[in-house]
Amino acid sequence: MQQIRRFTPIQRGFHLILMLTFVIQSATGLARMYVGTGWGKQLTDLFGGYPNTLTIHKWVGLLMLFAFIIHLIYILATINWRGLPGSIYGPDSLIPRLEDIGQSIRHVGWILGLNGPPRFDRWAYWEKFDYWAVFWGICLLGGTGLILYNPVISSRFIPGWALNVLLWIHRIEATLAMAHVFLIHFFIGHLRRENFPMDLVMFEGGIDLEKARHERPDWVERMENEGALQNVLVAKSTLSLRVIYHVFGFAIVIGCLYLLVNAFLNAHRLMG
Amino acid sequence: MKGAMAVIRLAYHWGAFGFLIGAAVFLTIPSVPSWAQEEVTSKIYRYRERVATGYYEGYEVSPRRARAILETPGIRRDRFSIGASAAAVRIRTHLPDSHRGLKFYYRTTCIECHPGQARNLHSMRAGITCRQCHGPEPIAAINHYYSAMNTIRRHAYVCSKCHEGATASFSGFYVHEPPSTALSTRESFPLLFYTSWGMLVLLLGTLAFFVPHSFMVGFRELLDKTKAPESSVGKLANSVSHRIMGGIRKLFEKKKVPENEVDDAA
Repeated sequence: MQQIRRFTPIQRGFHLILMLTFVIQSATGLARMYVGTGWGKQLTDLFGGYPNTLTIHKWVGLLMLFAFIIHLIYILATINWRGLPGSIYGPDSLIPRLEDIGQSIRHVGWILGLNGPPRFDRWAYWEKFDYWAVFWGICLLGGTGLILYNPVISSRFIPGWALNVLLWIHRIEATLAMAHVFLIHFFIGHLRRENFPMDLVMFEGGIDLEKARHERPDWVERMENEGALQNVLVAKSTLSLRVIYHVFGFAIVIGCLYLLVNAFLNAHRLMG
Repeated sequence: MKGAMAVIRLAYHWGAFGFLIGAAVFLTIPSVPSWAQEEVTSKIYRYRERVATGYYEGYEVSPRRARAILETPGIRRDRFSIGASAAAVRIRTHLPDSHRGLKFYYRTTCIECHPGQARNLHSMRAGITCRQCHGPEPIAAINHYYSAMNTIRRHAYVCSKCHEGATASFSGFYVHEPPSTALSTRESFPLLFYTSWGMLVLLLGTLAFFVPHSFMVGFRELLDKTKAPESSVGKLANSVSHRIMGGIRKLFEKKKVPENEVDDAA
């Protein structure tokens, strides 16, 4: 079965680095947030005690920010600067468009059975939201994290009580990010009928042509009208690779669900 | 036009030159004291007549504005109703021995009277005990002038024991932080209160929209009649969902059957 290429190898590499660092940051962050509970204590012991957990959190945070800077350079390098502003406002771009508002309303209408399905192009509105949520989330978490990295130095430039405020921003934003990934992102990637048990598009890079025609008719039609469809058709990845993708993906999912469930179960102990 | 452009170019060049000079001068200033760490300028003379040993002087900073907590409601009494001389002995945060006169004091532990104060980042994460910061008996009140915990020297005598290079600003971090979303925090630490609630509204708002949205999308797609071809791995899911949906459809069909039978019988 033929596939349309949806993500380049570089983009998949960004996602891989992001997911690995995100899982480590979630585990080390939750371990420290819950260190007052038995579960959090166990989790910090897994990383070699509280101080080591903090060190890992800081270094992986720096790695994450480094990858983010590389991502920004990648964006700047791939923008068609001569074609501005049209080149970044097209349907292949993740910049929100006016059409997204109409499509989101129509999509909700379709969910409620009021009208037919919207005709999505390459990116649906929730995918654009996902991208920009992560983008600004990294800015916020990375920014507060950098300031909290060395409080002795940063408190020379801002008052010490500002660190209390920044720590809470960091915590709540991280909670939001984890809740969004562990609940919504995993649901979309794994439990939707089209994607069950796992959507491989972020690993393979391609989406089945017929599936794309059904889910994103405007995208495929646009490619056909432009005569560009032949250029983006790729072969499906081999079975062995797909097995690896599934094992890897489910290992991540199970680890994250373990964090999510235990964070919920122990939440009342944080309040007391 | 030409003259105007020349003027603009000249202004731009001088502006850039001035900026570079300014930046160079700024960067060569060894340490620019920020407003958060202002040291006392007259440290020798300010408290001369009141300082017993002069031992602290080199480190002290003015008791000053870099405090976020204005006042904890319900704890601090009205100064005017007590009077200045009475306040000196009755407001415990100002006493040389903050527990002076308490009955059976030596039979109690800290957290019996200060419940919740043990739940702070220092004790929970690093296992630090109360006395490691608040000192041995008699425990001086944090606002007593000669207390090591007084904010004018806390950074040098308490924080620096572990945090090398701690400044007065650093000691402004609230170890015993008020609960960030509690209503009382709106009075005592408004910035923390409003920031936390702002972030919580963002969190709850995002989840309140996208959790139902995702689940409704997922459910709607299960019912999708214009069935899309599944990937090879998804075929199992397809058959399972068809069985489930077929079962649900049968349930509804069975409900309709008796009505038809009644109609037929009539």
